[in-house]
This record gives sequence, C-alpha cells and structure tokens, in this order.
Amino acid sequence: MARKKRNKVNPDAVVRQLMNIVGEREVLYLKEDLISYECDGYTMTKGMPKAVVFVKNTEHVSQVVRCLNRERIPYIARGAGTGLSGGATPLGGEVIISLVRMKRMLHLDLDNRKAVIEPGFVNLKLTQSISDKGYYYAPDPSSQYACTIGGNVAENSGGAHCLKYGVTTNHILGLEIVLPNGEVVEIGEDGIPDQPGYDLLGLLTGSEGTLGIVTKITVKVLKNPEGKKTVLAYYDDINDASQAVSEIIAAGIIPAALEMMDSIAIEGVESAAYPVGHPLDIAAFLLIEVDGIAAGIDDQIDEILTVCKHNNVREVKVAKDEAERGLWWANRKMGFGAMGAISPDYLVQDGVIPRTRLPEVLIRIAEISKKYDLRIANIFHAGDGNLHPLILFDARIPGESERAAKAGSECLKVCADVGGSITGEHGVGIEKSAEMRFIFSDEEMAAQTNIRAVFNPDDLLNPGKLFPQPGRCVEVKQG
Amino acid sequence: MIPSYLEEVLPKEQIRVNDEMGHPLGNGGLQFIEAKSEEDISKVLAYAYVHDKTVNVVSGGTKRGFGGEIERADILLSLASYKGIVEHSVGDLTMTVKPGTTLKEITDQLRNHGQRVALDTSWPELATIGGIVSANDSGPKRLLYGSARDLVIGMRIVYPDGSVIRTGGKVVKNVAGYDMNKLFIGSMGTLGIISEITIKLRPIPKYEGLSLLQFHDGKEQDIRKFAIQLLDSKMEPVSLEVLTPTIAEKVTGKKNYTLAIAFEDRKNAVLDQEKWVKDHFPNGVVHSIKHEEEAKKWWEGFRHLGPNGYNDSKHDADTQAALKIGSNNLDVPIILGAIDKVAEVHHVGVEAHGGVGHGISKVYVKGFPEDIVSYIRAVRAMAEEKGGYAVCTHLPFALREPVGVWGEKPGYFALLEGIKQTNDPKNIMNRKRFVGGI
Ligand SMILES: Cc1cc2nc3c(=O)[nH]c(=O)nc-3n(C[C@H](O)[C@H](O)[C@H](O)COP(=O)(O)OP(=O)(O)OC[C@H]3O[C@@H](n4cnc5c(N)ncnc54)[C@H](O)[C@@H]3O)c2cc1C
Repeated sequence: MARKKRNKVNPDAVVRQLMNIVGEREVLYLKEDLISYECDGYTMTKGMPKAVVFVKNTEHVSQVVRCLNRERIPYIARGAGTGLSGGATPLGGEVIISLVRMKRMLHLDLDNRKAVIEPGFVNLKLTQSISDKGYYYAPDPSSQYACTIGGNVAENSGGAHCLKYGVTTNHILGLEIVLPNGEVVEIGEDGIPDQPGYDLLGLLTGSEGTLGIVTKITVKVLKNPEGKKTVLAYYDDINDASQAVSEIIAAGIIPAALEMMDSIAIEGVESAAYPVGHPLDIAAFLLIEVDGIAAGIDDQIDEILTVCKHNNVREVKVAKDEAERGLWWANRKMGFGAMGAISPDYLVQDGVIPRTRLPEVLIRIAEISKKYDLRIANIFHAGDGNLHPLILFDARIPGESERAAKAGSECLKVCADVGGSITGEHGVGIEKSAEMRFIFSDEEMAAQTNIRAVFNPDDLLNPGKLFPQPGRCVEVKQG
Repeated sequence: MIPSYLEEVLPKEQIRVNDEMGHPLGNGGLQFIEAKSEEDISKVLAYAYVHDKTVNVVSGGTKRGFGGEIERADILLSLASYKGIVEHSVGDLTMTVKPGTTLKEITDQLRNHGQRVALDTSWPELATIGGIVSANDSGPKRLLYGSARDLVIGMRIVYPDGSVIRTGGKVVKNVAGYDMNKLFIGSMGTLGIISEITIKLRPIPKYEGLSLLQFHDGKEQDIRKFAIQLLDSKMEPVSLEVLTPTIAEKVTGKKNYTLAIAFEDRKNAVLDQEKWVKDHFPNGVVHSIKHEEEAKKWWEGFRHLGPNGYNDSKHDADTQAALKIGSNNLDVPIILGAIDKVAEVHHVGVEAHGGVGHGISKVYVKGFPEDIVSYIRAVRAMAEEKGGYAVCTHLPFALREPVGVWGEKPGYFALLEGIKQTNDPKNIMNRKRFVGGI
C-alpha cells in the first residue's frame, strides 16, 4: 500500500496486537484505507470493518484468530472480494483477515494429479501454471482471473464447465483449516480420498467462511481433453432454445458446457469488450461445448446440430479455430460486467431450477420484469438449470434499488416454487439469507446452525451470514 | 415377548422378537422392526429417543460386518421393505429413491430410459442404495464417475429424535446453506436415518470396452510405469484397476497381476483408446479385449467377489474379512504388491484390487481369526507407512475390538464427536459403529 502523509490516528490496543503478529505495515485501520473493504461484489449492503490484516502464513492466521477470540471481536476471511452475495462484507466492526498474500503453490504432483496451494492463489493462475504440461484445474468461474481458490472453496464455486466436470467440491482433496479457536487442523491429509470420519471436506466446502479459515488446499488437476468443439446456435424463440437444451441432454450427450443468453444479455455483451457480432434481433443463443476423446466428438456435434435445426434454429455454427472459440467464451464470460455497458447498476441473481422447467420459469421472470418495471437480462448455465437473472436498475433513482432487490427475491421464489434452489454457485451470504426460508424450514436451518456451533460456537467467525436474521422476513414456504 | 409399548408405535405385524442369538456379525437388536414408510422410521426413533433405547439399522445386510462394537441394540430397524423409486425426472437426469431399494432394482428400472446411477459397487442385487451411501461404498469406475459424494444431491433424514430434515435439494447444482448431504454419506447411520435420496443420473454409455493386461511375474513394476503413461496421455479410462494374481485368476482364469482398463464412450472413441493401449503396453504383456455384453458380463462377475454379509463360513479356518485401503493413486500397485507378498507369512488367503487412478483398494482375506488379526495389523502398518489408511469393511464381531475397525482417531476427532453429539445427543443411533467409538 502506498502510504501518504495523513492525519495521524493512533491504532488502538487491538490493532497494535494485530500489528505485533503480522507487522505494522500489514494492518489497515484508517477509515480511508478501509473503504474498499466495505463490501464485496455485491454492493447493496455495506459495512465498515474495524481493520484489515494481511496474513502471510497459517501461524499468522492462527495467532490473529486467537487474539480476536480473546478480545471477543468478530472477524471475516477474505480472498479477492469478488463474491456476489456479501459473504466477505462486514456488518460493522469486524476484522477482515485477508488471505491474498498467501498465494504460493506449495506442491505439484502431476503423477497423482494433485496440487497443493495456499488459499490466496488465483483460480486462473493454477491452470496457467500447469497448462504447459497439458493439465488444468476444472472449476472455472467467470471471475477466475481474479478470484482466489480459498474463496472458491468457501462458496463452492461453479463455472461454465461444471456441467461435465463438477463444481469446486468435486475437486477438493484436502484442506488445512484454522478453526475459530485458533487450532490448526488438516483434513484429507495428503489428498487421500475417503479418509475415515464424517466428510468434513464436503461440509467445509461451501460453508461461506463460517466454519473455519482455509489456509491450505489440495486440489485435483485434470489432463486437458484430447478434442474440443464449440457450437453457437441463434434462436428466434427462447422456447426453442430451451427445448434444444433438453433434447441434447436426452440424447445422452453430456456437453462440457451448455450456456444460454437472452436478447438483453446479448445487447450487453455486444456493447462490451469482446463483441462477437451476434445478431441483436435474436431471442437467445446457446453456446455448447463438447470435449473428450477426439474420435467421439464429431458424432456428438452432428447430433447437436440436428437437434438445433430440428428446434427451428436461425443459424448454427461450429467454431472454426481456437481464436474464434476463445472470442465466443470471452464474450460469454464478460456477461455480468457487460451489464455495466447498458445499465448504471445491475443485480446478479443465481437461482437453480430443474432444467425441464426452463420455459415456464422464463415466462414468470418476464412477468416479474414487467411488474417492477425493470429490465431483466438472463444468462444461464442452461445445462444444469442454473439461472442468472440480471436485474438492471439505476441506484440514483429513489426507490429503484429496493425494487431491484424485491424483483431479485421474487425470481428466487419462482425457482424455489418449481423445486429448485435460491443459489447454485454464488452463495447465500447477506443477500439471500432471508430467502433461505423459501427452501428450508426453521428446523432444517437449526440443524445447520447447530453444526455451525460445533466449529464456531461463539459465532465470531463471519457472523450474520447465510441464515436469516430475526426481524427480516419474506414470504415463507415450507415443506 | 414384544413389549406392549412397541405395539403402540407400529402394528404388530411389523415387530418381532429377534431370536437370532449372537449373530456372528453382531449389529443386531432385541426387537426386530420393519419400517414401511418414513413415518414408521420417525415413530420408532421418536419412541427410542424418549425411552433411551438404542437402535441399529439394517437394509440389505451386506454391510453387517462393517463396524459395530456392540452385539445387539434394543431395536434392529430394517428398511429392507421401504423401497421404490419415488420420482424419476428423465429430462433432469435425477431420481429420488427410498433407501431400501437395491442397486439392481434401480438399474433395471432406469435402463428402460437409457440412464443409470453411476455406482459400480459389489453385490448389486443385495446392497441397497441407503446402505451404499451410508457406508460410502464405491467400485473401480469411480475413477471417471466419482463416488456417492459426487452423485447425491439431496436427502431426507430422520433425526434420532424422530424429526425429518431435508438436506440439499432436487437440483444438480445447489449451494444454499451448508452441504449437509456430505455429513450423512459414509457416516454409517450414526447421525440419523436416510429416508430418501435424490441422486444425479448419467446416460448409459453408447459403447463399452474392457482391455485386460496381464503382466508376467516379476513385471509388477511395469504396471505403475504404464499407468503413469496412460494417465499422462489424453485417454479417459473409466477404470484403471489393478488385480492381484489370486483375484485375477478368479475373473480371468490367469494367475497374473492384471490391469483392467475400461472405456465407455461413443464406439469410435472406445476403439481409439483401445488402440492407444495396444500401441503402448510394455513387452511381455498378454492383452485381451472384451466389448459390450462380454465386458458387462465380466464386470458382473467382478461385482460378486468378497464377503456380502451372507456368505461367511461356519469354519474357523475360512473366516472372512475385507479391507478398504486409501492411498496415493500411484501407491496402489506398490501397496497391493506388498500386502500380497506378506499374505503367506500370515497364513491367510488374499484377493485384492485397487484403482491406480483413484487410490482406493479393496482386500478380501480368508483364514483363521488370529491370522486375520495379525495380517490386518501388518496391512494397516504398510498403508500408513505410505500415508494411507486401512478400514475393515467386513469382520466377524469378535475380531472388531482386537483389530480396531477404523484405525487411530484423526487429530480433529473432537469435531466428529461434536457433530455426533449435536445430531444424536443421547447416542442411540448405531452406537459404536463408527470412528473412535462414535
Ligand atoms: C464478474 C464476476 C463473475 C463471477 N462469475 C462466477 C461464476 O461463474 N461462478 C461462480 O461460482 N462465482 C462467480 N462469481 C462469484 C465469485 O467470484 C466467487 O464466489 C469466488 O469464489 C469468490 O472468490 P473470492 O476470492 O473473491 O472470495 P471473497 O469474495 O473474498 O470471499 C467469498 C467468501 O469466501 C470466504 N472466504 C474467502 N477466503 C476464505 C478462506 N481462505 N477461508 C475461509 N473462507 C474464505 C469469505 O469470508 C466470503 O464469505 C463471479 C463474480 C464476479 C464479480
């Protein structure tokens, strides 16, 4: 950090203790330094932390945690801060433990197909550092150039290629954790599968930083597929596109990715950094990728083309080379950010539905858009029914932020009502904690908070997240 | 006599006094109760909870020899008649099923729709999905398809106090709340009873092939070398299973170290990969290929090896045990070689196989009880020396304490205890069936 001359405010006793652990320059405590830690990628709720501590190793984390425990001060682990549900956002007064300086690869064992990294390691960097040997790390959130694998573990992040290869939890072999009492434990030691005991690896992955702080991660790495082909299909009717999705799956094909964007989303990505030249008058496109053994791919592509045509596709094409494929993907992965080009503000939602219910859900989302008089763009991981309605609004107009939040919540209600979930990959955080009631009963949430109490009995680690807070209520659905 | 209070819980026909005295595998119960619905399960547990009765759970009974250090609980609750597919959403590739359904029943029903549950566990006509998930059993093909933790997306659990809690959901991608499913997979019924499972399905592959590579005596090191080469290629084997000579003899007729490599894909892709194998295997290997029905039949035979809860012998000399070893993937051939070598020293017969791509090995042992005990100790020491572990998935009741089914407690045992205490504060469910006496 650049340190300008400024008003001298003396650090308080707690901050001084933290400085003693990690070094004076590794603690931020002045208001002007803390402002960028008021929220993560979800900007509708903000809170001022007490301080930000940059740790360099597990011992630091453990000592900082012990100190904060002694002082009864709540704390939050933070990676890159790209989270979209407020997971790393303070409610006010927490100490943020930033893991971005813990970013080394500790061990690479390609024979056994695993890598050991620190939590601040950036997702894309992992693939980049093993690609020369023909390997990659499969979970690929669109934020992969920035987000940390520690954050991915906390959120159980997904990505476009999770349809075939699974989400983060399917790729985690081992974790080192600092528990909220400061104790360091190693789970899934050496990355050896099925170790005796309850599956704590599975429980911790996706626990949104409320059960422990991850300080070391053993991940599975995969060999690059031999062949890969990518199809782009333009549709005049979004129902035809939905039907094509179902038929591709019904044909027994498991594409590596099966993405959909509607017309508003297309308008966005075409105005952003990587325009492809998609026609602006189509209702939706599908981006379909098949990978695997080269000799088996052409068959599958032929079948996909047949399905697309059979479902009234306007135009369908196969990427002619890696450059074209790369551009299609860059365009798609810009999806969220691109909304900035067509709207002052946007809210990303993250519902999941049974894939077969897509057409009716789209109709209901369109109704919500009309009801709240807000445009809603749709970007989906269509293959696994994970929808990202993007609610476009202008925070400067009084009342519009609140309307956007309500519209978002209603979209999630629709997903819950058709037997789906309120979040497929972005997590509950602060944003969707009230909506947990759409899918879980009080008893079911108590079963979860009771488990939290085993790890985090005083609720000092990332308090106020994931579960509804008393006082905030939404329409309740049970059963 | 059936205590009259139990009759208030469930109809008489579903309850009987358990007359089997001292089942050699333990894990019994004084009263045998058959659950026919989730409500039955809930009633029995609520009753047991209030009256401090211990409950053991059984379905197919194939894992009755897996863990358990008390011979009999107050109640033995059977889920074997609580079966059937509740919902199969063909277009979503998901299915919801009751726990007492056998894997074979599931497979038979899904086949009509060109789908399947991608679990290739043993004794599919006996083992139920509830038992497979609770014991976290898996087969050689987990290499490509994963294991229960990768497939189960939602459950209904009857907690020890009788309340019903849903975990996960019915959609394939879901991060709402903690991933509570994971707690119950492999927990041996110690945290609650799974009353419904929603599971991801896969399309049945268009074509399948099996390449069998027999390595001559003294050429075992070649297996590891070849496996590294194959894993570093772009081939996508579904299994890469090493068979020790004794087990290979049973399923191939040849007493050699054998590598069973399965490919499942489009026909062209399968043939192409088989060609890669043919072009790359080392000198001196005897190679054969099976396709489609022939390959399926081979795997069917493979899935009928080892103890199944019903095939134990009355003769001391033929006492059976089974082990699951976890290790680094590429330590599998080394560990299998080592444990095969010492079998003779301990006077036991051993058949074993393990996946070089996934690190899980299965060992079936036969011999006198005292020899089995000393052999298992030796095997465990070898696995641990390589950073792995050995768990006894089948042992007569009398041997469990001397051997220690699960090995040493992990360093974070307090967390496991805390979880058990949270879900089952009265410790009534499958008491002492799990790690560290949980
Ligand atoms: C443009 C954009 C696109 C995105 N696309 C996707 C996508 O395709 N798929 C997807 O799943 N997500 C996506 N996200 C969301 C986000 O990138 C992921 O949730 C990511 O995993 C967060 O990582 P992070 O390092 O930024 O974590 P942060 O935001 O810093 O933290 C997220 C949560 O993890 C906790 N945490 C962080 N590090 C640790 C640790 N070491 N130990 C314990 N807890 C920790 C925090 O307390 C917080 O609760 C996107 C976000 C943006 C902005």
